[in-house]
Amino acid sequence: MKKSLLSLASAVALYVHGQDQCATALPVGTGTYVVTVIDGTQAPFPICDGSGVNATMGEWYTYTPSQDTALTVSTDLPVNAGRDTRVHIYSDGCANLTCAGGDDDSGSGFLSVATVNVTAGVTYHIAFDDRWESDGFSFQLAVGPPLVGPSGFTPQPITTVGYANCVVDMNGDFLDDVVSTTETVININHQQSGGGFVPVNITTTQADNDASWSIAAGDLDDNGYNDLMYGGGSGVTFMMANATGTAFTEVSFPQYVFCQRTNMVDLNSDGHLDAFSCHDVDANVYYTNDGTGTLTYHQGGLGETCGNYGSLWTDYDNDGDPDLFVAKCGCDEVDILYRNNGDGTFTDIAPALGLNDGQQSWSSAWGDYDNDGDMDVMVGTSTGDYHKLMRNDLGSFVNITPGSGFDTYTGSSIEFTTHDFDNDGWLDILGGGSLMRNNGDLTFAPVLIQPGNGPIGDLNNDGFLDIVNGSTVYMNNGNDNHYLKVNTIGTVGNRNGIGARVEVVSALGTQIREVRSGDGFSYMSSLTAHFGLGADTAVTQVAVHWPSGLVDVIPAPTIDDTLNIIEGSTTIGMAEIGAHDLSIHPNPVQDMLYVHSMSASSNSRVAILDAAGKQVISTTLRNDQVDVSSLPNGTYILEITSKEGPLRAKFTKR
Amino acid sequence: MPTLQSIAPVLVRMKKVILVLSLIVAVFVACVKDDADPPAPTDPPGGGSPVVFDPAQVPYPQLSTYHFFEGALSDLAPSEGVLPYMVITPLFSDYAHKSRFVWMMPGSAASYDGDHRALAFEDGAVLIKNFYYDNVQPAGTRRIIETRMLYKKDGAWHFANYVWNDQQTDAYLDLDGSYTPVTWMDENNVLRAVNYRIPSGAECFTCHKIDNLASPIGPKPQNMKMDFAYADGTMDQLAKWEQTGYLAPGTPSTVNSTVRWDDANEDLTMRVRAYVDMNCAHCHAEGHHCDYRPMRFAWSETTDPVNLGVCVEPDEVLLPILTHIVARGNTEKSTLFYRIAATEESVRMPLLGRTLVHEEGVQLFEEWINSLTPPCN
Repeated sequence: MKKSLLSLASAVALYVHGQDQCATALPVGTGTYVVTVIDGTQAPFPICDGSGVNATMGEWYTYTPSQDTALTVSTDLPVNAGRDTRVHIYSDGCANLTCAGGDDDSGSGFLSVATVNVTAGVTYHIAFDDRWESDGFSFQLAVGPPLVGPSGFTPQPITTVGYANCVVDMNGDFLDDVVSTTETVININHQQSGGGFVPVNITTTQADNDASWSIAAGDLDDNGYNDLMYGGGSGVTFMMANATGTAFTEVSFPQYVFCQRTNMVDLNSDGHLDAFSCHDVDANVYYTNDGTGTLTYHQGGLGETCGNYGSLWTDYDNDGDPDLFVAKCGCDEVDILYRNNGDGTFTDIAPALGLNDGQQSWSSAWGDYDNDGDMDVMVGTSTGDYHKLMRNDLGSFVNITPGSGFDTYTGSSIEFTTHDFDNDGWLDILGGGSLMRNNGDLTFAPVLIQPGNGPIGDLNNDGFLDIVNGSTVYMNNGNDNHYLKVNTIGTVGNRNGIGARVEVVSALGTQIREVRSGDGFSYMSSLTAHFGLGADTAVTQVAVHWPSGLVDVIPAPTIDDTLNIIEGSTTIGMAEIGAHDLSIHPNPVQDMLYVHSMSASSNSRVAILDAAGKQVISTTLRNDQVDVSSLPNGTYILEITSKEGPLRAKFTKR
Repeated sequence: MPTLQSIAPVLVRMKKVILVLSLIVAVFVACVKDDADPPAPTDPPGGGSPVVFDPAQVPYPQLSTYHFFEGALSDLAPSEGVLPYMVITPLFSDYAHKSRFVWMMPGSAASYDGDHRALAFEDGAVLIKNFYYDNVQPAGTRRIIETRMLYKKDGAWHFANYVWNDQQTDAYLDLDGSYTPVTWMDENNVLRAVNYRIPSGAECFTCHKIDNLASPIGPKPQNMKMDFAYADGTMDQLAKWEQTGYLAPGTPSTVNSTVRWDDANEDLTMRVRAYVDMNCAHCHAEGHHCDYRPMRFAWSETTDPVNLGVCVEPDEVLLPILTHIVARGNTEKSTLFYRIAATEESVRMPLLGRTLVHEEGVQLFEEWINSLTPPCN
């Protein structure tokens, strides 16, 4: 997607002899320069536009900033109309050229614009090449305030095979690895604790289906090593890791499925990880797990019509079980939200919630964008510019698109996913050619970053999220913000803790993440829950709400670190939802529910939701009690908004 | 409310087990078929066609039951009333050869519904399309893979697909979809191989739907206005259909017809337009599978280069370098070119119906894109 041009003041062009080699590069300052012809004998390398395609000739310059600033190198000038340029920006000197930025076609037409944060006193090499043509052109160097948000990504080549669409830990060391596959090979670039990757190629039987449309990962047979699910154009293949993670056994299903998004999720809440696939041209399919990794195929009950593209399992109503949202497109484009009724049945309640949109969407990004304890959603369009941002008010949704930044965002994409890329404690959304950075007030602003959508994880263990695009890892340059990463290790439920909700409380508020296998449209991203903490230097507590109903709470963990939490390690046997600082009695209750909490006060907001997730009582806490006498018999969720974040408990009215 | 438990489970098996089981199933099915009584031929009105087609009983389990062909079934020699036909530019199907036939219930006829729309058929019409390879290795013989069928019943089109046995003596109804490997020596003495995809019913429907109703693609006047060498002499196909009684009178004598995509004497853009009409427009047209993308590839719509994607930016940027759907003069920046030259399932176009690259087709697009000027902005 081409982006709008920089508004460039015309300046007096300085004619300088383009220098032919890195070692003799010409130092330049800000201003406009003319390259007469690209004929330098040293072609730029490595290639910094992510294409991996080399050129044969180059022209070299250097720039050394006197202060920390954002440097923009642009050929997007009126004088260059019709030209086709490419630029690379390097740090670390000629002997060790390292990409700091680069661009091919971000400008108007086929012109180039690259902006990178640069450090005072460091010399950067700027090189143009003849990838497209060797004709002369002009370029401009300009500086501006350092970029806010992610300070850019540094491309780093990596050897992958076939479909490079998965980032997940494959050897149980809790470091994200890069997984790429063909019909006969699983290539794993194992991240090393000291940085870098060690690749391994594992040969498999010729898979009936490859991971062409999507991939999902999780430990289906609970043997300590993640298995893979290939979503192919004609069916589903599972690759089951052996007891040492060194070989895989193919399990292919015969049924025709035009796979789109695939997921692993415990969809029947029996403690075993199941699998799901969207079907483009028929009803969705799923595979239930008997607890040994043996799967049984089913079709029906989870989206009955065609056009299923982007499934995402999320607990939108905070009742502890996973619900299914499907962004839809094509033959039946009306999105669905199948609420998990908790008894093995699902009900489409998208119409009641205003989520039954008919725009052509391939994916949706579910995250708590306002850090208020429930999952909001941005449904992004794959064509045109109709995006929809919905604020979740615990079970009901309010359309807050107008004024959010998505109303004026013209980027379309089949991929929209949410992560915190600048570690400021607010979830951003990647998709449509830009990173939509969360301003913290439910508005978003586009930031151009070089990588497009891809599998996401922390590939150098620095606490900042990196992105893989094909055979390039884009390492997040990071910033001064703090972070916490949490690995969820299931014991009662699935080993990965997929479906668990992780809650981190710090001064900036309460953040939640769900451990998900499969978000966006096609990629599998890390199973580690990642939290940016902004300037916060401490975390009050971390809580994990497991699919089993267990809740573990870790007070005051070390930050800028990774925390591994084992299910049940701090509390065993609590069946309430999120009850670490909330106890209620009596339960079952007839008239008056008594509440005990350290963090709730007499002004705290109280909401009671019925089993359908519908808010039936909204009031404030008075004398530590809530009158529930008006409720019909049934199961309800009490939610109290406390100064420590939302507190929840399930109770029964009789 | 649908429940998870209510669905009959199908057990998964490891690969080896599947093989064994499918062998058992194959034997079992074969036995059942041997025991089944084929329906007796109905008395054809006028004593002509021997074809058996009882709307209440179709689709039959075996292809031979219809009596569409006389003599050895694999000769595909049409019975009386079964008319062969061709389309000017065919769909590329992994280099498979095809032979097409039409049969209609005695007394019924199709009618003209516009140059660019499929003929309006009546109930009892059957379109029969055989897919085969010649010079299949190692024996160097013809192998018929499948016979796809579209038949009209109760006002709607239905799919049937018959997969041929190894002996080439009959074909059996199968809409589940499968693969079969084929290696053959092509017309240029190049050894080629494909893991040929026999489509499932859902795949048939994906390409053959308009507003979610099944529909034929080929038999449009624009594709059929050409001479055909019939057994009793060469004749214009539409005229022949009218003479046979398969086309009601009233079809215009001039038709805005497509051209042969491989006819070097034709205009390059016309050849490209013909190619995308047959290979791409079944998805990229209003009411079709992928109508939300901006391309409009039907023959009637591609007089406007914008509908061909010329200098149109793609909704989805596959790679940063792919700046347009068709970038004039530059195949490297053209998404369409990238996709038709790809084999990855999620990248290639068309998505269904091919796994190999149609090299001659790609050459056509290379020539065409390189001929376009000036560069897009």
